[in-house]
Amino acid sequence: MIRFLALVRKELLVLFASPLAYIVLALVVLVAGLLFFDHLRAYNQILFLFQTSTMGGFESGTIPDHVNLRETVFFPVMENLGFILIGLIPMITMRVFAEERSRGTDEILLTTRLSPGQIVAGKFLVTYGFVVLAMLASFVYPAMAILQGGIGVQHLSSVFFGLSLLAISLASIGLVCSAFTSSQFMAVVASWALCFVLWDWSWLTPFLRDAESLARFVDAISIHPRYSVFAEGVVRLEDLIYFLGVCLVSYALARFALDWRRVAG
Amino acid sequence: MTEPKGQEAGSPAPVQGGGARVEARGLTRRFGPLVAVDDLSLTIAPGEALGLLGANGAGKTTFIRLVTGVLLPSGGDVLVDGHSPVRAPAEVCKRLGFVAETSRIYPDLRVRSFLRFAGGARDLAGAELERAVDATIERFHLEEVAKRWVGQLSKGYQQRVSLAQGFLHDPPLMIVDEPTSGLDPLQQEEVRAVLRELRGERTLILCTHDLSEARDLTERAAVLHRGRLVAHGPTSEVLGGADSLALFRGEAE
Repeated sequence: MIRFLALVRKELLVLFASPLAYIVLALVVLVAGLLFFDHLRAYNQILFLFQTSTMGGFESGTIPDHVNLRETVFFPVMENLGFILIGLIPMITMRVFAEERSRGTDEILLTTRLSPGQIVAGKFLVTYGFVVLAMLASFVYPAMAILQGGIGVQHLSSVFFGLSLLAISLASIGLVCSAFTSSQFMAVVASWALCFVLWDWSWLTPFLRDAESLARFVDAISIHPRYSVFAEGVVRLEDLIYFLGVCLVSYALARFALDWRRVAG
Repeated sequence: MTEPKGQEAGSPAPVQGGGARVEARGLTRRFGPLVAVDDLSLTIAPGEALGLLGANGAGKTTFIRLVTGVLLPSGGDVLVDGHSPVRAPAEVCKRLGFVAETSRIYPDLRVRSFLRFAGGARDLAGAELERAVDATIERFHLEEVAKRWVGQLSKGYQQRVSLAQGFLHDPPLMIVDEPTSGLDPLQQEEVRAVLRELRGERTLILCTHDLSEARDLTERAAVLHRGRLVAHGPTSEVLGGADSLALFRGEAE
C-alpha cells in the first residue's frame, strides 16, 4: 500500500506539473459552459416565439410540454458534451504511459518494488480521478440551472454518474493506446480513432436485419446508447457491467502491454 | 584472461562486505535475428565492483535489463542472491538499486518529491522515509537543489539525483548505467567521486565504455563484444594490455 500511495502521489504531481492538465480542464469547463449558454439562449428564443406568435398549431402564449429546460437544454448539452469528450480526454491520457517509455523512466518504475499491476492501477486511478474532477467542473452550470428547472437531485445524480462513467471509459481506452506506444502523437490519434469507432453503432442495426446476432453485438459494444440511458435518469445493471467491463478489459490490456515490453524489448 | 564462451568466467573475488551475488548462466537474449546477449555466464561476488565494458551495441545495457528484470531472457537464467527476476521479481527489486542514464528521471518533480517517491516505491514511509531522504540529500550534497525542479538542474546534479534515488534504500546491489555519459569533465569527476565513496559497501555493476572510469572505480572487469563475454578478470589485467581497445573490437578471442 505504501508503494501504491507513493506512485499515486507521484502521478498527481506529474499530472498537475503539466500545463496540459489545466488546459484540458479549462477546455472542458469552457466547452460545457458554451454549450450550456448556447442551448439556454436557443431555449429562451423558442420560449419567446411560442409566447408571442402562433407556432406549430399552438396558440400564442401556449408552450408545449416538450419545450422545457430538461428536454431543450439539459439533454442536448449532455449529449454534445459526451461526444466532445472524445476529443478532450485522449489529450490527457496520451502521455500517461507513452511519456514514461519515451523518457525511459518506465525502467525506474519497473526496478522499484512496484508490481506492473500496481503501476497500471495507480495510473488508471489518478486519470479516473482527474476526469471525474473535470466532469464535476463541467457539470456545475447545467446542474445549478436544471435544479431550479424542476429536475430532481436523484435524476441529476444519475446523469452525472453516467457522464463520469463515460469519461472513465474513454480514459480507459486512451490509457490502453498510451500503454502500447512510446509516441504521444500515436497514442492520441489511436485513442480518437478507437473512441470514435466505439461511440455509436446503432445506426447500423437497421441494415443488419438478416444478421440478428451481429446487430445485437454492434449495438452492445456502442458506448453512446449506454450513456443515453443514464441521461434519462435510469441506472441499469447491464450498463454498469458494460462500463465496468470496458475498465477491466482496458486494465488487462495495459497490463499486457507492460508485460509484452519485457518480452519484445 | 579471456574466457571461452558459455563457460563460468573467472572465479569470484573475495567478499568485501555486504552485497548481493549475481549469477548469469547461459544467459541469452534475442531481438528477432539479432543476438544481443549470447550464452553469457558470469558470476559477480557480493561486494565486488564490476566494470561491464564494451563498445556501443555490445550488449551491456541488454545484460543490465536482464538482471533488473526489465527484459525477459530468451534462454538461460540470471539470479540475484538466488532469486530470478523472472520468477521472483519482488525479491530482486528489493535488493536492487538502478541508476539509468542522466535523462531518465522525472523533470516535472522537485528533487525532494522525486526522492520521496523513490523511497515510497521501495516501502519506506513516514519518519523512516524522511530520515532516508534527508540522509541521502546530505550524502549526495543535494541540499542546495532539494527544492528545485529536477528538469532545471545541470546534468551533473541530475545524475547525482539519479544516483541518490538508487541508493536511497541502501540496496546490496547497485547497477549504474553509463553514469558520466554526456557530462563535462568537472561533472564527470563529481559523479566518480560519489561512486568512489560508495564502492565496496555493496555489489556494484558499472556499465561504461570509458576505460579510465573502469580502472578508477572497479576491481574486476568484464568485456562484451557482440553479446559475448570476451574477457573477464581483475580490471588491471583486463585493461593492462598494450592495446586494450582490441578487446572492444573482439580481438581477444
